[in-house]
Amino acid sequence: MPSALVPLANITLGSATASVTFSSIVGTYRDLMLVAQVGHTVASSLRLRANSDSGANYSYVSMIGTGTSTASGGGGGITYYPLTEYGIQATTPIVTSITHLMDYSATDKHKSLITRHSESGYQVSALACRWASTSAITSLVIFPGSSTFVAGSTFALYGVSA
Amino acid sequence: MYGQLISSVTVGAGGASNIEFTGIAGSFTDLVAVVNLRTTYSSLDTINVTVNGSTTGYSWRVLFGNGASASSWTGSGSGFQEIGAPGTNHTANTFSNGILTFPNYSGSTNKSFSVDYVTENNGTTAYAWLIAGLWSSTSAISSIKFASMNANLAQYSTISLYGLTKGSGGATVS
Repeated sequence: MPSALVPLANITLGSATASVTFSSIVGTYRDLMLVAQVGHTVASSLRLRANSDSGANYSYVSMIGTGTSTASGGGGGITYYPLTEYGIQATTPIVTSITHLMDYSATDKHKSLITRHSESGYQVSALACRWASTSAITSLVIFPGSSTFVAGSTFALYGVSA
Repeated sequence: MYGQLISSVTVGAGGASNIEFTGIAGSFTDLVAVVNLRTTYSSLDTINVTVNGSTTGYSWRVLFGNGASASSWTGSGSGFQEIGAPGTNHTANTFSNGILTFPNYSGSTNKSFSVDYVTENNGTTAYAWLIAGLWSSTSAISSIKFASMNANLAQYSTISLYGLTKGSGGATVS
């Protein structure tokens, strides 16, 4: 049975790495899905940028459970899609991040995503984010806020067929 | 949308104590289980999820909502015992819905998993969970079992297991 999820690119890090970039993303799918399993050398947030745009063009809303408390956050005018509200604490690659980017190649709408973050030893969260640009997304860079990914971290990008 | 279908099971008349997927090939990158469950228990039941027949090493962290408030807690047990399923006192023909994702399930590191799950009880209390889970084992996952903890899975309960496979050819990565 053919799958609507088409693998586009993937990487497993062989050493500590500051960022991972997916470029030359084909524009023939409806949505993108990014599945990552990561650890950070130092606790820090997980972030995503589209088309290398580091301008204050992103906004988000979040909900978080820490295991003892709940919280909700949000903000605008930031310089990246946040994929976590709080920093990733794990220093081994066991934190799961699943991100859906809808209509990534459209040129008539801003680019929204929904992301789930699961770190069993620290937090569970979901965020909805928006990049205020009508440009088609052709590249994505994922990076820790102030740290590096540990070796063994994995990243897989899929195209979702309409 | 979840990748290649590995197997799908629907419970027949008379119910079943569990749905189990065995002999899962290690050739995929991630596993995704899409679940749609109801049980024959008299009230909200708990579903026990176990991997490779193991009864040790399960822990989880929860964000939970019941329509009135949110709460968060941690848990551990002899299986992943957090998600629920409607019982006989729930609105007829309503089933829980959820997605369990196991990235890198055949790798040699501890197995983290992510769960998004809801129950339904039309017009009264229903629940939603976001869960970060961990099976502390470096073994590759070759089987997954979903069982009612208090009764049987009801007729028409369904679980579909999918495999995602990473690849290349649609983008450059560095």
